[in-house]
Amino acid sequence: MLPLKIAWRFLRKSPAQTLLIIAGIAVGIAVQVFIGSLITSLQGSLVEKTIGSSPHITLADPTDGQPVVYSAFMQRVLAGTKGVSAIVPVRELNVLYSNGTDKVPLTLTGGEAGKLNLIYRLSQRTVEGVSTLKQGEIVIGTDLAKKYLLIPGDKMLLNSGSGAPVSLLITGIVDLGSSAANLRTAFVGPDLPRAQLGFRADQYSAIQVQLTDPFGSTPIATAWRGQFPGVKVSDWQVDNKDLLQALSSQSLSSYMIQVFVLVAVALGIASTLAISAVQKVKQIGILKALGMADGDTGAIFVWQSVIMGVSGTALGVLTGFGLIAGFTFGTAKSGAGFPITPQPGFIAISVAVGILVALLSAIIPTRNTARLDPIEVIQNG
Amino acid sequence: MADALVAAAGLGKVYGTDIATRALEEVSFEIGAGEFVAIVGRSGSGKSTLLNLLGLLDTPSEGTLHLRGTESNSLDKRGRAKLRNELLGFVFQYHHLLPEFSVRENILMPYLISGGPVDEAIGARVDETLRVLGLDGLGAKNANDLSGGQKQRVAIGRALMNRPAIVLADEPTGNLDTENTEAVYSLFRTINEEWGTTFLIVTHDQDIASMTDRILELRDGKLVQDVRNAYAGAITR
Ligand SMILES: Nc1ncnc2c1ncn2[C@@H]1O[C@H](COP(=O)(O)OP(=O)(O)O)[C@@H](O)[C@H]1O
Ligand SMILES: [Mg+2]
Repeated sequence: MLPLKIAWRFLRKSPAQTLLIIAGIAVGIAVQVFIGSLITSLQGSLVEKTIGSSPHITLADPTDGQPVVYSAFMQRVLAGTKGVSAIVPVRELNVLYSNGTDKVPLTLTGGEAGKLNLIYRLSQRTVEGVSTLKQGEIVIGTDLAKKYLLIPGDKMLLNSGSGAPVSLLITGIVDLGSSAANLRTAFVGPDLPRAQLGFRADQYSAIQVQLTDPFGSTPIATAWRGQFPGVKVSDWQVDNKDLLQALSSQSLSSYMIQVFVLVAVALGIASTLAISAVQKVKQIGILKALGMADGDTGAIFVWQSVIMGVSGTALGVLTGFGLIAGFTFGTAKSGAGFPITPQPGFIAISVAVGILVALLSAIIPTRNTARLDPIEVIQNG
Repeated sequence: MADALVAAAGLGKVYGTDIATRALEEVSFEIGAGEFVAIVGRSGSGKSTLLNLLGLLDTPSEGTLHLRGTESNSLDKRGRAKLRNELLGFVFQYHHLLPEFSVRENILMPYLISGGPVDEAIGARVDETLRVLGLDGLGAKNANDLSGGQKQRVAIGRALMNRPAIVLADEPTGNLDTENTEAVYSLFRTINEEWGTTFLIVTHDQDIASMTDRILELRDGKLVQDVRNAYAGAITR
């Protein structure tokens, strides 16, 4: 423990230098933690917005409007595929909502409330009323409700173009997360669209599937294409190619920023330690003359970097959390933006890298120390 | 031979490879436990070179050196450092104290390096050393805050901390005034007599040399005189 004690004294002897380098490490790690969490949360939020409440893989007939047959075989295959978290057969019906002079086009998504919940999370997103989707009931989006002053308990007259208009009771209003969806999408039970579309019991507009890992969609979609010839299997990753490309180049640039920040931190510690080694060359020579082994004199510099690395990293993580909290508070106040979630895995990596970098920068002074001949120091007073 | 504390046989030292400087040639002598020896000679005669070899700070180009029976060439760097820590105490012309540590900690340092536990007995040893050196009450001070004479006494205390068998002093009073110089030598003598510590003191001061028991004189790297001084003890008292 003597090397640790000496390291501590060396650091305390020049507090300004020590605090500066700790601050340098802290800034580097704080930037790491903040940018890493920011980018990850931003991407998470974008991906969530894109696919959080929409299917990852959709099976439909290649021709618009034509039904896909949800055969026993298909049911077995879908249910038996690993990574599938929800299978939701839906029937989609385009209707016009007449409100006095306005005729508003709406897409009704029809299905069992329990099933639709798996993808659209209706009960979670209901801001008013309930989303039970019983016969004769409808759930609409917030924007439509606001625009036409609709509230639960109101009736809506819908025209599908075939047959007589139907009147449905609004039971709930949901916020689907995007104003386009909130204006144009509504949910009903399974029977109304089926009757209007003239589908058989095993015919649907689409079979929507969600996966536990959305980014694992491509191989599954490819496999299903082989198993269901004549069925159009759409993969969200193909449909959102541009977004994903943008995300991955964003990740790349954030990695580059982080690498440069780490390099700057490493150079900072390394140069400070090198300076310290030069400043303390006399002390090291004396300690060697008194019989301290090379390994122990080297350990002094390792300890110095450990002390600075650990405290700088700890301070950096705290500052990073502070920045995240400040950013979240600031954007929450302005109403724009999204919450940043601190990424524990990412922070763990930053901490490990911060300390590792500090240790690596002790290599040069440690080596020089081993080479130092105590006679040089003693004779030059 | 076997019971000599220090035994040098044909010691030689050549510095440099391209331009070789011979600093020491064929130096042989033995020193027994408890001797109080001066090494004298002109500047550049090889005194420091010899002391560095005896102190295991450097390795000889020729010859052998036995310290308490251990042949120095048989030791690796680590072994030399360990033996240095256990067997030898150094006092240099400059005090070479560590400014980051207190007087007490500076004195304790060789013991801390040896890795021993700091218990009450060790605390008492530091106290005793401080008292013997006339540094009572200064233990908590920073080493930098002392006078030149006090600093050199702290350095002596540090050299004595591990109760070494041999103290090697290279012009230990070169930076001190007459009063402090006399204090340092009478301190050496007291320790030599009370603890039986062997002293090898490099000096070019004839008065001081004449107060020792034995004088080794170097000239151009060779040992030209090795005389015992029968009256030395009488002069100091
Ligand atoms: N590290 C060294 N490299 C080259 N020559 C040295 C070195 N140290 C001492 N010398 C030379 O060795 C000789 C003896 O030096 P030294 O032992 O320091 O003498 P002293 O201590 O008696 O004044 C001198 O000629 C000196 O220049
Ligand atoms: Mg000299």
